[in-house]
Amino acid sequence: MTGAFEYQLADSWEEAVELHRIWGEDGKILAGGQSLVPMLNLRLVQPAGLIDINPIGAVEPRVADDRLVLSALTRHQDLLRSPLVREHCPILAEGAAQIGNVRVRARGTVGGSMCHADPSGEIPCMVLALDGQLIAHSPRGQRVIDAERFLRSYLTTDLAEDELLTEIRLPIRKHGQGWAFLETVRRYSDFATVEVAATATLSSDAHTVTALRVVVGGVADRPLILSDELLSAAVGGTGRDDELRAVGAAAAATVSPESDVHASADYRRRLTEVLTYRALGKAIERGRAESKGAGV
Amino acid sequence: MVAMTEAIESAPAGTTEFTVVGNSPAHHDFQDKVQGTLRYGADWKLPGMLYGKVVRSLQPCARITAIDTSAARELPGVVAVLTASDVPFNKVVDNASGGLGELTVAQPVLAEDRVRYTGEPVALIAATEPEIAAAAVDLVDVSYADLPGIFDPEEALEPEAPLVHEAGNVLVNWRIGRGDAAAAMAAADVVITGEYRSQHVEHAYLEPESGVGWSDNGVLTLRVSTQVIEHASQIARILDVSENKVRIIASYMGGGFGGKEDMTVEPYLALLAWHTQRPVRMVWDRQESILASTKRHPFVMRYRTGAKADGTLLAQEIDIIGDAGAYPCLSARVLFAGAALAAGPYRVPNITTRSRAVFTNNVPASAFRGFGAMQVVFGYESQMDKLAERLGLTPTEIRDRNQVSKGDTIPTGESLHTAVELTATRDLALARLGPRSTATGPGCRVGRGFASGMQPYGRTIWFRDHASVWLTLQTDGSLLIRSGVTDLGAGQAASLCQIASEVLGAPLEEISVYIGDTALNPPAGGTFATRQLYMSGNAVLSGARELRDSLAAVAAEELGVPPDTLVWRDGMVRTADSSGQNRGIRLAELAQMCQRRGVSTSNLHTWRARGGEFDPEAGQGDSFPDYTYGTHAAEVEVDTETGVVRVLKYAASHDVGQQINPVRVQGQIQGGVMQGLGYALMEDHALIDGQPVSTLFANYLIPTTMDMPDIEVDVVESGEGCGPLNARGIGEPPVGPCAAAIASAIKDAIGVRPNRLPITPERVLELIDEQAAGRVAKDGDHE
Ligand SMILES: Cc1cc2nc3c(=O)[nH]c(=O)nc-3n(C[C@H](O)[C@H](O)[C@H](O)COP(=O)(O)OP(=O)(O)OC[C@H]3O[C@@H](n4cnc5c(N)ncnc54)[C@H](O)[C@@H]3O)c2cc1C
Repeated sequence: MTGAFEYQLADSWEEAVELHRIWGEDGKILAGGQSLVPMLNLRLVQPAGLIDINPIGAVEPRVADDRLVLSALTRHQDLLRSPLVREHCPILAEGAAQIGNVRVRARGTVGGSMCHADPSGEIPCMVLALDGQLIAHSPRGQRVIDAERFLRSYLTTDLAEDELLTEIRLPIRKHGQGWAFLETVRRYSDFATVEVAATATLSSDAHTVTALRVVVGGVADRPLILSDELLSAAVGGTGRDDELRAVGAAAAATVSPESDVHASADYRRRLTEVLTYRALGKAIERGRAESKGAGV
Repeated sequence: MVAMTEAIESAPAGTTEFTVVGNSPAHHDFQDKVQGTLRYGADWKLPGMLYGKVVRSLQPCARITAIDTSAARELPGVVAVLTASDVPFNKVVDNASGGLGELTVAQPVLAEDRVRYTGEPVALIAATEPEIAAAAVDLVDVSYADLPGIFDPEEALEPEAPLVHEAGNVLVNWRIGRGDAAAAMAAADVVITGEYRSQHVEHAYLEPESGVGWSDNGVLTLRVSTQVIEHASQIARILDVSENKVRIIASYMGGGFGGKEDMTVEPYLALLAWHTQRPVRMVWDRQESILASTKRHPFVMRYRTGAKADGTLLAQEIDIIGDAGAYPCLSARVLFAGAALAAGPYRVPNITTRSRAVFTNNVPASAFRGFGAMQVVFGYESQMDKLAERLGLTPTEIRDRNQVSKGDTIPTGESLHTAVELTATRDLALARLGPRSTATGPGCRVGRGFASGMQPYGRTIWFRDHASVWLTLQTDGSLLIRSGVTDLGAGQAASLCQIASEVLGAPLEEISVYIGDTALNPPAGGTFATRQLYMSGNAVLSGARELRDSLAAVAAEELGVPPDTLVWRDGMVRTADSSGQNRGIRLAELAQMCQRRGVSTSNLHTWRARGGEFDPEAGQGDSFPDYTYGTHAAEVEVDTETGVVRVLKYAASHDVGQQINPVRVQGQIQGGVMQGLGYALMEDHALIDGQPVSTLFANYLIPTTMDMPDIEVDVVESGEGCGPLNARGIGEPPVGPCAAAIASAIKDAIGVRPNRLPITPERVLELIDEQAAGRVAKDGDHE
């Protein structure tokens, strides 16, 4: 029978690492199953062993050393519900709300999204925008991987065959920092055609944009960080419309997306321009409100 | 023997109030579906059953140089591998026009020496497990030599174009003409031109093509998901057996929309079951269904519309090209409907319409809800809007000046003989939109539009349509309805029960309806062309009245009153004296009385639609029995920077004559709008050189409920349909006006008129770019 596999449950990360080692390349980790199960169904992957890590359960999001710490098994919907996430990394709540539909958000996990590494996924785009770190475990021990290095290419990560992703650590929002996550979809619940995650830091008088970080998803084999040079038209400025439009145009000119049935390369470029411009505007506006709100 | 009589509450005599019709009881189909107890096509399992699979062409246009089935045959568990040489009569000839002038082109059941589209069946497998059958498919080695293909119907018309079939690339060329369009056009004050294009669309029913087949006592039986059990005769021809040796049973369907009007799994199941003499099951998965099933025809529609300065239409010159794909299927009829309805519900004294079905090496196109008459709504409604704009009239004014009314003559030369309540539907739909919404952000604009449409119900008149039904009142007073109708999921069977209950007074719980079986039911014709309520509904109505007449003679004698004063209700027949004291007989008692007296309680009845002729040379004659009219109105918000269109409000109103079951009418309109909005904005079965690029729901986008606005429905009941109790059909009509209404709303928002479907965000941006570049005329037309 094609597609048959053995199914095993892991109760702890140690056990998961051990089972994963035993199965080697024939084993697959099952987290929320929202990407893996459709692939099994279409026989795109045919593992011999399926290691279900759900029994491990997710620890509630917490803050340690100025970082928000998420268990790999944190569900998308937990990002919407956690007050800690809303306070320290509010962009995660904004982006996670746009993942798939309520069923997908209830099952899908942040770790699964990172490991699946879909170039249009919201989680990878945001984790990269926040400059997060990924914690991997293997029989050889623990490894800390920067998001930029972790996301290698289309459905490809830096994880070695025997490594599991256990945790994600994200720098918490600084004072005066605004955020925005924007995307468009062809149909509700689908992957984004193009998505943009942006953070903006404002000077303490809320006047000047001192730092920007923008990541665009859906336009390459992995989410793209816009270079400092591209952002230069707006960094040091006051967030004027023409400054932001200039960044949008520059971003559009650098990306070289592919065409598919959902959108042509040209259209993706247009979306890059508009969404970048809009995300910057929203992030700066929020940053400004944040710094003013704090009574500076 | 004295009849049992009972005193019961009196009801006014001679009332036209219905007691069952016009209500929405939760009938057997609702209950079975909600409980999950309905057995669909794929749900039957038979002992010793094999699993069938189709080996399909990977090439759109090629010669087959060899087929090596040896590896597949050797795979353990494979029981049969069949190719063209195993098919007793390997030809299916659709004469969809009824012999009015299309090419005669045969479609092989299994490709012989060449393939003409990607997905064309080449061989069949039967195996003991579905996985083995699937593995065997990959082991059938078909060698192809590429041939030049043709994928664009306009290119297929060129003299040098490769021929899809030797007979030629034009399957049919319809003409409809009245008056002198050229002269009238020359004399017109304004002439509006327009070119409109639509796409291939997938039916996307919940339930894919499926069924089982078996043979016993020398009879082959297929129990399949199909709209048309009458394909039994075609199956007999393929197997080269007489028609009495084939029985088809239609399971209740999880949708069909026309996609199960042509044969789907039937010939393959028949061949495999006949050949192996074992039961065989075949279920297409979603990918196979999208790859291989027929599609809605893409149309290229060119319009020239001439009018007087006051807006009165003088002339229409219309040219329609439909991509038939590789085989005829029902294209000839679809393109006829397109031709007949091309001018829409507007008076036009001078018209020439040409409508051609053209072969290509694309997937065959055939029946799909709206059947040619829906594609043209986008054409004629866009023309009307443009004309209004050119003349400085409102869209409502231009329609008021030209809309057809009862008694008017339409392009085929027929005159409309029932009410046209278009204005009522328009007023209702527009009122529903309420106050205009404000845009939600910078770069966003709100727009509104509406579109009206007319959709025929019933087959083209020259087919002399008829439907039979067999009604039996049993000795316990319960009623059997036996009818060859198939049930698409729209309640075709349940509606028959409501009509019979209304006439005979048998309570719904005591009526059973047996449908969709060529062996046990009188033929009703297939469920398509919005014809079953019209045809079988009328058959039940007149058959039940006939039965009631013979029962009434007995009852009247017993009760001592004239038969036509009897009231049939609540399982009884009773007198209707106004004194307040009336008497009745239970139907059970009445049935027994009839039996004792030798009066039959059973009636096999055939209802015949009006017949007529169409003259294809003159382009004049009888076309359709009647039409259902309606108007849809939409409010959209367009994000002018991303092109994203959000439908904020949507209202739909149709005149259905008389509602038999209001919830089912609502359901048809809600569902039709959803399907129509998918057609307008998202759905596109795109093919690149004949190869489909979206064969999963991940890339063939149908809208989800979350993409939908609340759809507000208003039903008009003119009381003037040709169906039973003056009902009109409502199956197909609601899908028609959607794309035109949305296009018109988008035009209102951005100033440019979309002329190509689907109206994707990307295309919206292109329109906005054209406008910015000054390439758009004042009335929103492209230059
Ligand atoms: C209808 C639908 C719509 C969707 N829409 C979106 C969308 O809009 N945006 C979006 O981003 N996603 C979308 N998804 C995917 C969803 O977000 C998934 O949840 C996510 O991609 C994978 O997470 P998961 O927990 O389900 O992982 P799984 O499907 O269980 O696993 C995915 C892959 O990651 C591996 N893996 C999982 N966890 C680990 C781990 N801890 N260590 C190592 N490897 C691991 C698995 O072996 C597998 O290869 C959609 C899914 C569906 C079904």
